[in-house]
Amino acid sequence: MAETQHRHRLDVLGLFDNEYDSEGYRTCSVTGLEIHKSVENHVKLFGLTAVLFMVVGGFFAITVVGTRWEAIGLLSSSDYYIHLSMHAWSMLLFWIVFMEVAILYVGGPMVLGRKLPLTVLAKVGYAVMLVGALTIYYAIWTTSAPDQAPLLTAYVPLPSSPVFYAGALVFVLGVVVAALPFFVSIWQEKRANPGGTLPLVTFGAFITGIIAVEALLGGVVAFSSGLLWRLEIVTSLDAGWYRMWFWIVGHGTQQINLVAMIVVWYFLTHVVGGAEVVSEKVSRTAFILYLLFINMGAAHHLLVDPGISTGWRLWNTSYAFYGATFASLIHAFAIPAGIEAGRRKRGKGGGLFGWLTSAPWKNPMFAAPVIAIILFGFLGGITGVLMGQLQLNMAWHNTFATVGHFHSTVVLGTTITFMAVVYFVIRTMFLREFVSNRLASLQPFLYGGAMGVTALMMMYVGILYGVPRRTPEVVSNIPGTDFSLSAAEPLFVVFGLFAFVAIAGGALFVALAVGSLLFGKRIDPAGNGDLVSDGGSAVASQTMAPRDDLELADDPNDPVHAYEMRGTFVLCLLFLAAFVITYVLNWYLITQLWSIGA
Amino acid sequence: MTSPIKPPEGNWWDQPINRRESIWLGIGVGWSVILFGWMSAFTRIGDQNPIGETYRVEAEDYRDKLQAYVDEGTDTEEGLVPPGDDVYIGAGQFYWDGLPVVLETGQEYDFHLAAYDVQHGFSVRPEHTLSKQINLQVLPGYEWIVPMEFDEPGTYRVLCNEFCGDGHEAMHGRIIVQEG
Ligand code: HEM
Ligand SMILES: [Cu+2]
Repeated sequence: MAETQHRHRLDVLGLFDNEYDSEGYRTCSVTGLEIHKSVENHVKLFGLTAVLFMVVGGFFAITVVGTRWEAIGLLSSSDYYIHLSMHAWSMLLFWIVFMEVAILYVGGPMVLGRKLPLTVLAKVGYAVMLVGALTIYYAIWTTSAPDQAPLLTAYVPLPSSPVFYAGALVFVLGVVVAALPFFVSIWQEKRANPGGTLPLVTFGAFITGIIAVEALLGGVVAFSSGLLWRLEIVTSLDAGWYRMWFWIVGHGTQQINLVAMIVVWYFLTHVVGGAEVVSEKVSRTAFILYLLFINMGAAHHLLVDPGISTGWRLWNTSYAFYGATFASLIHAFAIPAGIEAGRRKRGKGGGLFGWLTSAPWKNPMFAAPVIAIILFGFLGGITGVLMGQLQLNMAWHNTFATVGHFHSTVVLGTTITFMAVVYFVIRTMFLREFVSNRLASLQPFLYGGAMGVTALMMMYVGILYGVPRRTPEVVSNIPGTDFSLSAAEPLFVVFGLFAFVAIAGGALFVALAVGSLLFGKRIDPAGNGDLVSDGGSAVASQTMAPRDDLELADDPNDPVHAYEMRGTFVLCLLFLAAFVITYVLNWYLITQLWSIGA
Repeated sequence: MTSPIKPPEGNWWDQPINRRESIWLGIGVGWSVILFGWMSAFTRIGDQNPIGETYRVEAEDYRDKLQAYVDEGTDTEEGLVPPGDDVYIGAGQFYWDGLPVVLETGQEYDFHLAAYDVQHGFSVRPEHTLSKQINLQVLPGYEWIVPMEFDEPGTYRVLCNEFCGDGHEAMHGRIIVQEG
């Protein structure tokens, strides 16, 4: 067979053996993009690696939940902190950041139809990231006195292993190296088309890249000073100073997640849901607002710290008068409006919500991002603004509610969105059928639904019962006292049950991804027609030129902004109502307290 | 013109914006102003703000200060009755130095918070109303003075909610508030 001739001798599983023309390009039957094999293969490499790290992180989710649900009480306290550190670094850093590099390569060179420049750097970056990750694992797993498990933060002056700080530094530098080919491809594009405008997705990816570099440089400062301090080359390191620099990378990477996720939302809702961009001006302005303001969000972590002026805290936590929040409100309208107007234009939506009910919900590459948009917005976005208010932060800071907030952002938002990317890569780049379409359709709902309840329970026990984060006990027993937070036990039952269902949903994702790569039927390069929005069956796609239906979008006499956006408007008003109600409730709770502060 | 994966053509900047999108933008600006305005106004008009003077302090000096304060105060069965309006609390692995302390309702105290070793979290709630809880970060090297006035008597429980080492889950203290 022809395909085997293309196979690299290391490519035992045939995962990197698509057919390309003599220049190394092929045309994607779903997006219509000209894809060069250098980009495609690196996207596959980073994506696949990310999934493997999710397996590790998911395993530790089991032990972490099994301990926090004190009725099970799985681990001793010293083991607990080690397992929690493994969970945090596997998920938040390794799973997400490997995916993000893949997404940069998609958003940049792939969308632009270019080769991946400097592939050597992509490989070096990959290797350095991998070495950093394994070093961190080693350091965490071998934690011994006087060192403590680093958790996510490794707050100086609580000592973590010097190997840990070194590993973190190496990982961060690896990411910078891996991002360089992306920047070079943007630069090449600009040289080739001096007056041209980048596609929206590429523009957003570029903004993501800049925010990433800012964040990572903060990480270099934090981790290298931590390392020097731990090696006693520097004798004292101010705790407040370290917190500030740590959160430049700690929160900065979350802003990368946010912006990368939004880029994917525009991409996937368009490609598989028929969404269009209702206003380039408005959406691009929102990305610019992120660029200007979003890194100020690091201040959210310092709101109840000593030694920082009130003015500084108000200014930074509000991203300068809520500039970045406003940007998110813009996307919250623009993305669903793009789906609504795009589908109406194609005759796919009557009434208020016909465009939504007729959408391809069975396609996980559509359903997952939409679930992510909704859950991220209602649970993650709103709570982020709440806990980012100076006074409300007193009730949220370091409670389990904080964990509920960030599982709503990085899990319900980013992780679910990135799962859709993995599905998309499997179908359109690895060109494999899912081993089970039914399970693939079900998975985002299962995972999103269960995690949604889990996150809500985390918030309730944190806010209403003051249960702290990062501790193996305190709900049914606080060592050395008869006092405990046992009133929260019933909610912990709900938390525990749903968390295990969510973990099962995550395991299903991994099984589908790995299973499809190993056993999925190969898809003919011209196939995949069923993925094209409203594109009918795979058979239709072979008779129809790819993307014919989306070409409709280009008719200048039929502008998309003129289509109805009533449904989106109603949804956004609902969102605002939820926002206002939770805002008022949180403030009510705070004003019930004794008087605090000057 | 309208695909996010193709360069927009023509004068995309001057394309009109859908009326509903414009209205939403207006609402967004309004909400942002309210969010900022209320938070900022509350620092002036509100009674619950994480605001207080901060001083640099070495752990040893703070320990001495706290010891002098304890010596001056009155030891009772319930705990320490402070000598004046100042309440000193030192956070160490894995105890709250200066607690338990006996206070009165209706009197404003200056809480001094500092850590002896690593970072800790000062997390307080009355034992029967767990939802009334607040959390403040306690750092070594900083003495943070946060005024507080309790309006309800009762036992307030202090936990540590910043990971301060293996054993941090046992870090517990009490504030006893009596009718003043
Ligand atoms: C089914 C999936 C998951 C479950 C059930 C779960 C559960 C938990 C729980 C219970 C904690 C809190 C432990 C504590 O504070 O004592 C935790 C911490 C954490 N999780 Fe997850 N998690 C899941 C997936 C994820 C994912 C996908 C990410 C990142 C993308 C993530 C990132 C984190 C981080 C950063 C922490 C905080 C660690 C620290 O305090 O330093 N989790 N998780
Ligand atoms: Cu502590």
